[in-house]
Amino acid sequence: MRNLVDTHERVKDFDWEPSYGRKVDRYPTKYKIPSKTKDPFRHLIRDYLAMEQEKDDRQYGAMEDALARSGAAAKAEERWMEILKPALPIVNFGEYAAMKSCGQLIDAVDNAELRQGYMAQMLDEVRHTNQEMYLSRYFAKHAQDPEGFAQGLKVRGTNMFNRAGRSALENFFVGDPIEGALNLQVVAETAYTNPIFVAMTEVAATNGDQVTPSVFLSIQSDEARHMANGYSTLAAVMSNPDNLPALQADFDRAFWRQHAFLDPFLGVVYDYFQKNRTTSYKEKWDEWINDDWIGSYIAKLEPFGLKVPVWFEEAKVRMHWVGHTAALVAFSAWPQQFWRFDPLTNEDMDWFELKYPGWYDNYGFFWEGYRELTDPKDGASTLSLFESMPPLCRVCQMPTIFPRIDISTCRIKEYAGKKHAFCSDACDFIFHEDPQRYLGYDTWYELFDGYSLDEYIIKNGLLRADGKTLIAQPSLDRDKMWTIEDIKALNYEIKNPLNDLTSDWVVA
Amino acid sequence: MTGVVAKAPRDFTYIPPRARRVSEYEAVTCYTQPDPEVFDMQGWYLRTSEGRTAWQRESTKLVHPHWFDFRDPASHWQRTYVRMQGEQERGIDRATEDAASSGALREMDPTWLAEIVGGHYRVWSFLEYGLFRAFAPAQREALSDTIGNVLCFEGVDRMRHAQAIVIYLMDLEGAVPGFRDAGGKQRWTDDPLYQPARGLIERLMLETTDWAELAVVTNLILDPILAEVGLSQLVRGFGPFHGDSVTPLIVSTVERDRRRNLAWTEEFVRMVTGQSPRGREVPAAEDNRAVIQQWLDVWTPLVLDATHALAPVYDLPPLQVASFDDVLKRALTRQEQIVSGLGLASGVPSWTT
Repeated sequence: MRNLVDTHERVKDFDWEPSYGRKVDRYPTKYKIPSKTKDPFRHLIRDYLAMEQEKDDRQYGAMEDALARSGAAAKAEERWMEILKPALPIVNFGEYAAMKSCGQLIDAVDNAELRQGYMAQMLDEVRHTNQEMYLSRYFAKHAQDPEGFAQGLKVRGTNMFNRAGRSALENFFVGDPIEGALNLQVVAETAYTNPIFVAMTEVAATNGDQVTPSVFLSIQSDEARHMANGYSTLAAVMSNPDNLPALQADFDRAFWRQHAFLDPFLGVVYDYFQKNRTTSYKEKWDEWINDDWIGSYIAKLEPFGLKVPVWFEEAKVRMHWVGHTAALVAFSAWPQQFWRFDPLTNEDMDWFELKYPGWYDNYGFFWEGYRELTDPKDGASTLSLFESMPPLCRVCQMPTIFPRIDISTCRIKEYAGKKHAFCSDACDFIFHEDPQRYLGYDTWYELFDGYSLDEYIIKNGLLRADGKTLIAQPSLDRDKMWTIEDIKALNYEIKNPLNDLTSDWVVA
Repeated sequence: MTGVVAKAPRDFTYIPPRARRVSEYEAVTCYTQPDPEVFDMQGWYLRTSEGRTAWQRESTKLVHPHWFDFRDPASHWQRTYVRMQGEQERGIDRATEDAASSGALREMDPTWLAEIVGGHYRVWSFLEYGLFRAFAPAQREALSDTIGNVLCFEGVDRMRHAQAIVIYLMDLEGAVPGFRDAGGKQRWTDDPLYQPARGLIERLMLETTDWAELAVVTNLILDPILAEVGLSQLVRGFGPFHGDSVTPLIVSTVERDRRRNLAWTEEFVRMVTGQSPRGREVPAAEDNRAVIQQWLDVWTPLVLDATHALAPVYDLPPLQVASFDDVLKRALTRQEQIVSGLGLASGVPSWTT
């Protein structure tokens, strides 16, 4: 019988002091990490493989057998299924970015214990990437409406919201590798995987989707190990007081970059695509992010030198509104998307008012207008509900209308001879700390400025197999589906709001 | 749904399949890595403070018009990879347990056990660990998901072997009275026999930032020569003659990994040199061939030095099953066949043959 402690000691004693090669600093870090720390990964590869194989067999077995035979994917509420079309490709990039993050951590962090933890996570992330693509394909095969699932990774590239997701999740591996670990393991995985993979399964199951929970819960069973990686990385960084000033700045930025995308996005997914209603995203956020992550974890690190993220209180205040505000943009710009939207019913609106007091006064007008504009015969679109669309934030790529249209913290600033919009003090600050990090790409509006809406739809492959009907629809009504001819008749041109100085959005 | 939706695609329409239909492997792998020249026309979003983007074309000297064309010949995705490696590890675990119960481990020749299994083979765990560290950032940098994944799996292969050696020696400690796993790391860092190998590994692990170069050097040179001579023909080949049944089995699982890694590297070289059947035209094919040839020319002498340095290890086993010179000659012949099969010349300097 092997002594486990001794075995772990020995399998973690592989590093040596090199004498023939000089390390190329591929992933520069400002942090000094001790070479020996707490071990986050108490498994041998042999045990790990057996454990993961068993989990895979259970999950894929269920999908291939009982769930397939019972036609589970086709029985789910259509409203719920639609949001999985954009959500799965976004989350999938997070997994893929996490795999890359682990690769650079293995190279950059000279610590044998941490390296082994990162190795298992690297393979876990391949697992999750594969699981989510398998799930998307499963829905392409079995869902009532496969359009949108079948095109997933192709259409995510140019979609406004998927782009914002990629912009947030690139923080996992583009930058100081420790900053990547803070974004990935300390913020995204420790704070946000519970709302994504645990709480969302509750919404899925309540809405008749039994397939997503079997995948998401299997994913989440790996996340505890990644949270342990995050904790061990954080503890290693904090053990050297010289690291603390940089750590706080990177942590503040990491929290905001993840919050700025994930919270509006998850708010829309939870609250606007439930048919059979359960808890609200805000309730989940209070429980998982505010109480658990901040209250039971981050706040307790203060004696060791790490403070609650500087913009956390601001985020907390914004939480009452950000999901609803993001929903306005997503729903009104429905023809640009690759999923269908279901207008809110009166019962939905009652639920919103109950869960988010004050909701009706601020958003009710939009939803009443929206449901009058879903029939192509009327020749008007929800895009007409706004005079112009809001510019996109240079940093987070989200529309700059948060927390709420009437109290938007949008500001326009010039940098290097060009106008840039920022959604908040935080994104404004983050940009000006190191502008070059955010200037190398075009925003969605910069890219498509001057396109007619029908041109955009055709160019980006947003038509169904008949070549006429849009993948996206403003309602689930199959007798009122919009075609490209209906869109042409709108004569709508995509305009970069930053070029239109008379637009309301650019008044700082 | 009816009407238009009845004709809707029921699979990922954006993946060009290798065979007639999109395979499970392709469906869960292809285009998970974004790329501005594929579907992500806005460019890379974030830059590091030093100005680098998420991926960089110059991460390899090779040039290809569409890195996403690559397909792993083994079609591995995580599930099949984990299942395959899980089975190999279970096989090792069971064989070790059986050999311990039956007393077979105690029947091993004591000199073989001390010098080769406890000494030489233990050193190999450091070599594999160094390669694991090299492959982890290589998967990070690769310019497509299908390439990144084979590099990732190869990194895990290496760590699996490194750990399997350590666990096996611990099992031997429990089964063979008086046997102790000690001094392996010192041998790796100090013993002159292993310094050329350590130098080679350190250069790969610390200095080789071109992910394609790492794959070519490891799978077309290091494994076919150094691992063939220092591991396969010695540890697997001599083991049964010294009453050792388990070590050769562990090495066999590693050889299975090696065959897989050779196959994908061959496929990769064919792709970048424009030799893939039905592959797209590669304008840089000739330049790529020259770059790979240069890698072979530069690295093969280093691998040969590391291999030659191991010659005295062949004198340690009590039973001489094969001579170092014969084994090396056969390995070089085989390696020459591998590279010439790819339209390349062996990098073995003429003065050594």
